Amino acid sequence: METLTVEAKELYIPVLATIDQVEQLTATEKRFHIVMPEGHEFEHQPGQFVEVSIFGFGEAPISISSSPTRRPGFELTVRRTGRLTEKMHQLQAGSLIGIRGPFGHGFEIQKFEGKDVLFVAGGIGLAPLKSLIEYTLDNRQDFNRVIILYGTKNPSEILYPKEIEEWQQRDDVEFHMTVDRADATWKGNVGVITTLIPPIKLDIENTIAAIVGPPVMYKFVVMALKGKRLPDANMYLSLERRMKCGVGKCGHCQINHSYVCQDGPVYHYPVLKELEEAL
Amino acid sequence: MNSQKLTSLNRYFFDQDTMKSFTAFLMNKAKVVAPHKKGEKSFIFKETVNPDEIILSYTRTLHPLKKFFLPPVETLLEFDLEKNEVMSPEIPIEDRFFLGVHSYDMKAILLLDYSFKKGNPEANYLKRRERSVFIGVSYQPDEYHFASDLGIDPYDVSGFSLFLEPVEKGYLIFEVDEIGKRLLQEFDAGLPLNSPLELEIPEHKPRIKMHHNRLPQIFEHVYHSKVWKEVAQKCLGCGTCNLLCATCYCFDVIDEVNLDMKTGKRERRWDGCMLNPFAEVAGGENFRPTLDSRTRHRLYRKFKYQTDQTGELHCVGCGRCSKYCPASIAMIDIVNQLIEDYNKQQQAVSLV
Repeated sequence: METLTVEAKELYIPVLATIDQVEQLTATEKRFHIVMPEGHEFEHQPGQFVEVSIFGFGEAPISISSSPTRRPGFELTVRRTGRLTEKMHQLQAGSLIGIRGPFGHGFEIQKFEGKDVLFVAGGIGLAPLKSLIEYTLDNRQDFNRVIILYGTKNPSEILYPKEIEEWQQRDDVEFHMTVDRADATWKGNVGVITTLIPPIKLDIENTIAAIVGPPVMYKFVVMALKGKRLPDANMYLSLERRMKCGVGKCGHCQINHSYVCQDGPVYHYPVLKELEEAL
Repeated sequence: MNSQKLTSLNRYFFDQDTMKSFTAFLMNKAKVVAPHKKGEKSFIFKETVNPDEIILSYTRTLHPLKKFFLPPVETLLEFDLEKNEVMSPEIPIEDRFFLGVHSYDMKAILLLDYSFKKGNPEANYLKRRERSVFIGVSYQPDEYHFASDLGIDPYDVSGFSLFLEPVEKGYLIFEVDEIGKRLLQEFDAGLPLNSPLELEIPEHKPRIKMHHNRLPQIFEHVYHSKVWKEVAQKCLGCGTCNLLCATCYCFDVIDEVNLDMKTGKRERRWDGCMLNPFAEVAGGENFRPTLDSRTRHRLYRKFKYQTDQTGELHCVGCGRCSKYCPASIAMIDIVNQLIEDYNKQQQAVSLV
C-alpha cells in the first residue's frame, strides 16, 4: 500500500455567506442568490453542488443552479422538503448561511462543445441543468443546436417562468415542455417527459444529452434516447444522494465503489451503467 | 512468515519488573493507552493510570483503536446563532503511546490512514494520529480471529516502533524502528541479546477456504449470490458489526442547539451502512433498502471497493463483528459460503 504524504486540511468549517436575493418560484421552491464574503474565491462548474449550513438545523447538499458565467455570486434553488430547507425558506435577503464547496464532478463542458446539446430535465432537475443551460447560452457560438426538454407534474410546478419565456423566444433554442397533468390554464403538451423525445430529430452522432430528474425518470429517459439510437457515450446524468460531508469520507453517498460527492454527481452514462446501485 | 523478520531485529529481555518500569517511563513522557480489563470477560483500550492494571495477555478488546483517532462523537464546530459566529475546536496534537496492540489492530490503523489521507486529507483524524507511537504484542488466536487467513499474522510488526513477545518471566522486546530504538536507549535497556532467536510459533490452520490474495477476485463474481439473502435472513440490522469494525469509519453529522437556544454545536457520530436509513435521500427514497443489499455493501467495502484502490483487504480478521454479532453471523462463514458459491459457478461453467 502506498504511503501518502499529505497536508492535512480543515474540511468541515463553512464560510459565512450572505443571501442577497430571495425569490419565491413555486409553492414549494425558492431561489436564493448567494454572495461569498470578500476574499473568498468561489469558482464552480455547472453540475457541482455546495453544502449549505443552517446552524442548528444541519447541512445539506444543494446543487448550484446558476452558470459560472453569471458572477459574482451564485444561485441555489431549494425545495422545501425537510427541517433544514423549511428553515431556509424562512430566511430573508441579508441573512447569513454557511457554505462549503463547491464539491463534486460537474458536466465536462469540453465534451459538449461543438455538438448539439440536448437537455432533459424532470421537475427540480431543471435547477442543476439551468447552470449548464445558461453556460451554453452565454457561450452560444461554442455549441451547435440547443434543445431543452422539460417536464413537471403540473403547471404550478414550473420552476423558472422568466428564463423559460426567454428560452422560448430565442430562435437559437428549441424548447419543449410538458406536464403530467394539465389544469384549466394549460394549453401545452400533456404527458410524461419521454413523450417529448420521439418527435425530436436528432443527429445522434453529434448530440450530447445532459439528463437530470427524479430517480424514477432516468430509466425511462435513457430507454427513450436509446430508442433513438443515441449512443451511451453521448449521455450524462446527475445523481441525487445524501452527500453529508462532500469530501469523500462519510460514506452516505456511496454507490458501489463510487462516492457521488467525488466522482459525481454528474456521471458519464457508460460509467454509471456499471454501477448496479445507481439507478 | 513475518516471524522471520523478528530474527533480524535487535531484541532485549525485560523481566516483569523492568516491563513495569518501562511502562512508567513511557507514562512519564506521554499518555499511555493500553488494554485493561472491562468487567469479567472483556478488555478495552484506555489511558493507563496504574501500570499494574495493564493486561498484555488478552484475546481482543471490545473496541478497536479507531476511537482514539475518530472519536465516537466529535464536535466539528460550535456556533452562536445570535452573534452569527462559527468556531472550530482546537484538536490537540499530542504524543501518545499505544502499548500492547495486536498486529491486526495496527494494520487497521494503517488502512484508516489511507482512507483519511486519500482525496481530501482530513485534519481531524491526521492531527490525532500524527504523534502516536505503537508498541505491539503477539497473541494467541482464539476461535474468532482469522487475521492470519488474511495475511496478517500475530508477529507482523508493520506500523510498530517496538514489539513484545511474552516469554517465561517476562518479555522479549524487539526494536522495530528508529523511534523504538531511541526509546530503548533513553530507557537504558542495556545491550541487545545476541543468542539466536528461538520462537515457538503455533501452527496456523487456515479456516478461509481460499488464499487471501484471491478473495478480491471472488468478489468479482458473487454480487448476485444467494448468500446475501441467506445472511440477511438471520441479520437483525443492528449495525454492531459496523461500530466494532476496526476499519469502518462512516459517520453522520448532526446539529445540536443548547437549551439557551442561542448556542450549539455540530457533531459527527459513528454511523453504519447496515442501518436502514444510511442510504436515504432528501425525498425519502432509500437506495439500499434491504438487509441483503446492505450486507453486500459492507463486505464489498472490506474485500473489493477499497481493495481495488489500495491492493489491501480492508478486513483485518479481528473477529469483533463475529464475536459480538447478536445473531451469531460470522465473517468467516459468509466468506466461505461466497467461495463455495463461486466454486459452484466455476464448475457449472466448466461443465458447459
